[in-house]
Amino acid sequence: MSDTPAILCNGIKKIYGTGDTQVHALRGVDLEVHPGELLMLVGPSGCGKTTLISIIAGILDQTEGNCSLFGQDLRQLPSTDRVRFRGKHIGFVFQAFNLIPTLTVAENTAIPLLINGENRERALARAAECLKEVGLESKIDALPSQLSGGQQQRVAIARALVHDPKLVVCDEPTSALDHQTGTKVMEILKGLAMDGKRSLVIVTHDARIFEFADRIAHMDDGHIERVEARAAKDN
Amino acid sequence: MFRVALKMLFGDRGKYLGIVIGIALASVLMINQPGIMISILKTVNGLITDMSGPDLWVMDPMVKSVDDAKPMMDTQMYRVRGVKGVAWALPFYRGSQKVRMSNGETVQSVIQGMDDATLIGGPTKLLKGRLEDLRQPDSIIVDKAGAEGRLAKPSAIPGGKSTPLTVGDTLEINDKRAVVVGIAQATQTFASQPTIYTTYTRAKSYATSERKMMTYVLAKTQDGETPEAVARRITKETGLMALTSEEFKAKNLDFMINHTSIIVNFGFVVLVGFIVGAAVTGQIFYNFTLDNLRHFGVFKAMGTPDSVLRRMILLQALVVGFIGFGLGAGITGLFAYMKADSTDLSMTLNWQLLTASGGAVLFIVLMAALFSIRKVMKLEPAIVFKG
Repeated sequence: MSDTPAILCNGIKKIYGTGDTQVHALRGVDLEVHPGELLMLVGPSGCGKTTLISIIAGILDQTEGNCSLFGQDLRQLPSTDRVRFRGKHIGFVFQAFNLIPTLTVAENTAIPLLINGENRERALARAAECLKEVGLESKIDALPSQLSGGQQQRVAIARALVHDPKLVVCDEPTSALDHQTGTKVMEILKGLAMDGKRSLVIVTHDARIFEFADRIAHMDDGHIERVEARAAKDN
Repeated sequence: MFRVALKMLFGDRGKYLGIVIGIALASVLMINQPGIMISILKTVNGLITDMSGPDLWVMDPMVKSVDDAKPMMDTQMYRVRGVKGVAWALPFYRGSQKVRMSNGETVQSVIQGMDDATLIGGPTKLLKGRLEDLRQPDSIIVDKAGAEGRLAKPSAIPGGKSTPLTVGDTLEINDKRAVVVGIAQATQTFASQPTIYTTYTRAKSYATSERKMMTYVLAKTQDGETPEAVARRITKETGLMALTSEEFKAKNLDFMINHTSIIVNFGFVVLVGFIVGAAVTGQIFYNFTLDNLRHFGVFKAMGTPDSVLRRMILLQALVVGFIGFGLGAGITGLFAYMKADSTDLSMTLNWQLLTASGGAVLFIVLMAALFSIRKVMKLEPAIVFKG
């Protein structure tokens, strides 16, 4: 693990709305994530987990504070460069999978490469390699509707990793899956994503997967209350 | 990403077909109705179009359109002949008469009488017979639409198929025998009555005797003169209205447009087509975008620039517009082709009409795309983290 932080957040505050309708989603969050580290953000609903990863991923602006990814404060970048940065360096895994129903598994997986301007043939070839790594080589031409929930999340993992990002953010990646499938998905995610340089930030309620974390940040009411270091499960 | 956009579009078959059919129907209405209107307007000038010899039409100053005959004295023709720049001037009769058929039925028909000596003003395209055959006694030429339609010989068997009138058949016009010596191909006229061509003298004999019988003086400009200048000179010297063929056509069209509700009626249907097309297409396309809003959010979060998203939506809109318009124009074109040989009123498709209706469809899909793009541009990508 390198000492240079992959994510460095200082005094992050986020306020939604104005006047009497103001909601303080984050009340001054300090967080550091290192390359090669898997951090889980846990806490009750409405504690600000999703807001925090949205800010970390550069898809939401904080009201106050600084947040840098690999030394780059995304707010300092022009919006087109920020979008480009996100497309190149960040992978996403969502709770609801968010696969495009009319695209095949391979085409869904190839989307980040296509966004980055990769040639379609090369993108599909790389997607096929990633799908093989998640054990879905036989489903390349299938549509998402033909897959189980666990298989769809594996496609989402392949999609998150296909462009070799430095950071993968996952929002409740196992909450829509049963325990066995969830564990399998986490094993695949950790096994493929953690290559020593890449960082993973996972928002979860699912205590069954805590064992995969290097550290767990417990959040409540817009704060990180404590950060717990764990002896993470190796694959 | 554009291929992804197209797969998103084609993959949602229900909405895709809904949008395409909406645009196709709008296109049919926007092409078909003006096409029929143009055909009708063209018939207004059928008489002038078919007349290749003269370039000047001289008539009573009160004439409002080609079918608004106000007969003149034959002597007016001699006054026109006396105007400088007129190469020749000939009488022309155009009137309406009841024609009695073999079974006793009568059919209102247009009688056109041309100069006995030169036969100028006669039909230019004869399908059967020769124009010179009009010099035979009692001879007439009938237009094809009339010969096959209203003047066709009724079947002897009740309900049986009628036989087209042909050379050698006889009719009766105002108690006078008329022998068919030719069948002509003529541009259909607005009144869509059969047209019977004969000599000026014979045409006058069919009509009830009146002091004024001549409908038009057909005249030709001398070399070295312009028809416009000669027309102005005739008007000045005779007090009659003299128009070039093009001026006469424009006057007729102007009369039709300003004194009938043709533009309002057809325009209303076109407007309905446009509004229905815009409403249906816009609504379905917008719903399609709303249905895919989450996916656009995913693309945004994953780093798709707004410019690419805009172009993806624009491509989807243009593709459905192109396919829908192609389908609509194709259906209308097929309909026009099938009606091309018909004697009924057909449809005129020209590039101006297709360009205008294509432009209207383009406007519809661009507006639909604009609303969708606006929605996607305002979309917060953080939506993707909401389960």
